[in-house]
Amino acid sequence: MKRFLILSFVIIAIAAVPAVAGDTTSYGDGVTLKEAVAIDTLIANPDDYIGRTVRVDGVITGVCKKRGCWMQVTDSESGNGVRIKVEDGVMVFPYTSMGLEASAEGVFEAIKLTPEQIEARTAAAHGHEVGEDCDKDEPKRDGSGVGCDAPAVGEYVYVIRGTGAVIKG
Amino acid sequence: MHWRKLIIATHRDVGYFFAGLTVIYAVSGVALNHIDDWIPNYVIRTEVVEVGVLPFGAPSELGAEVLGRMQITEEPNSIVRMGQDELKIFLDQRTLTVTLPGGRVVDEYARRRYAFFEVNYLHLNHGKGFWTWFADLYAVGLLTLACTGIFIITGKKGLGGRGRRLLIAGLSIPIIYLVLAVWL
Repeated sequence: MKRFLILSFVIIAIAAVPAVAGDTTSYGDGVTLKEAVAIDTLIANPDDYIGRTVRVDGVITGVCKKRGCWMQVTDSESGNGVRIKVEDGVMVFPYTSMGLEASAEGVFEAIKLTPEQIEARTAAAHGHEVGEDCDKDEPKRDGSGVGCDAPAVGEYVYVIRGTGAVIKG
Repeated sequence: MHWRKLIIATHRDVGYFFAGLTVIYAVSGVALNHIDDWIPNYVIRTEVVEVGVLPFGAPSELGAEVLGRMQITEEPNSIVRMGQDELKIFLDQRTLTVTLPGGRVVDEYARRRYAFFEVNYLHLNHGKGFWTWFADLYAVGLLTLACTGIFIITGKKGLGGRGRRLLIAGLSIPIIYLVLAVWL
């Protein structure tokens, strides 16, 4: 019995080690693309990248508090950011990773907001809890479920359907 | 009868083995059921402070100025200018969101919620790999407990009487709920 317990402990200890390499932690499929597209380039030329798998590098400036199902990766120079959205539970980004450098990969999408949604976002900016809607809903192509705190660029919110990420630190 | 002894022994041993895990899943289940009302994995405290009007400058200079005024000596992980009127300073487990140039700072501290972070980590299978199959094993264990449990007692208090009524009552609740909430 004692041997069984010791063996079980060793197996569990080995199996429980997360996908950590050095001072980085990998989520999902990690990043496979060697070249990152600058976030500013994505936002300046979205039509060139929509539907394509891209990698972005930046600083994590926002994370879903409740489910860890999205994070905002921002270019530290320009302040432009893109939301990395993943399905609930597939990857869980820790809220305590705010401010760390990250690389993320996935399919780039531009979601056009309707006038009603823009109006709702404006209203929400004056009293909505940050991330409230995003915590509950998946971003959809019609713009619903994007959440009021996802930064819009003009009439669009940019989202990467994340397949993997690496967080440093 | 031999099969009854086997049922009781199986129920007893599986019950002992998974008792701790059942507590973990039960606590996490309640915590996650009410996720709309609270943040189960983290404790987040927010405080607003005024540091006075800030000068123009590069993000690093502004960050140093704010940290100095708040008497924070910790080296920030990063400083990002989010736009014309907002600067974010990221410290370990702490984010300062500074309104520029007014100097209003939303000071947010976040840490893992003790015990709940861990039980939710297990319940939601964040770790994948080993835990996926162990959680599957637990599900099989629960099925075993359910199937053996209903045959432990015989007679009036077993499936022949009280046990049957309770079994039907327990099953009818989710069925009635589904009829009202989904099927109608």
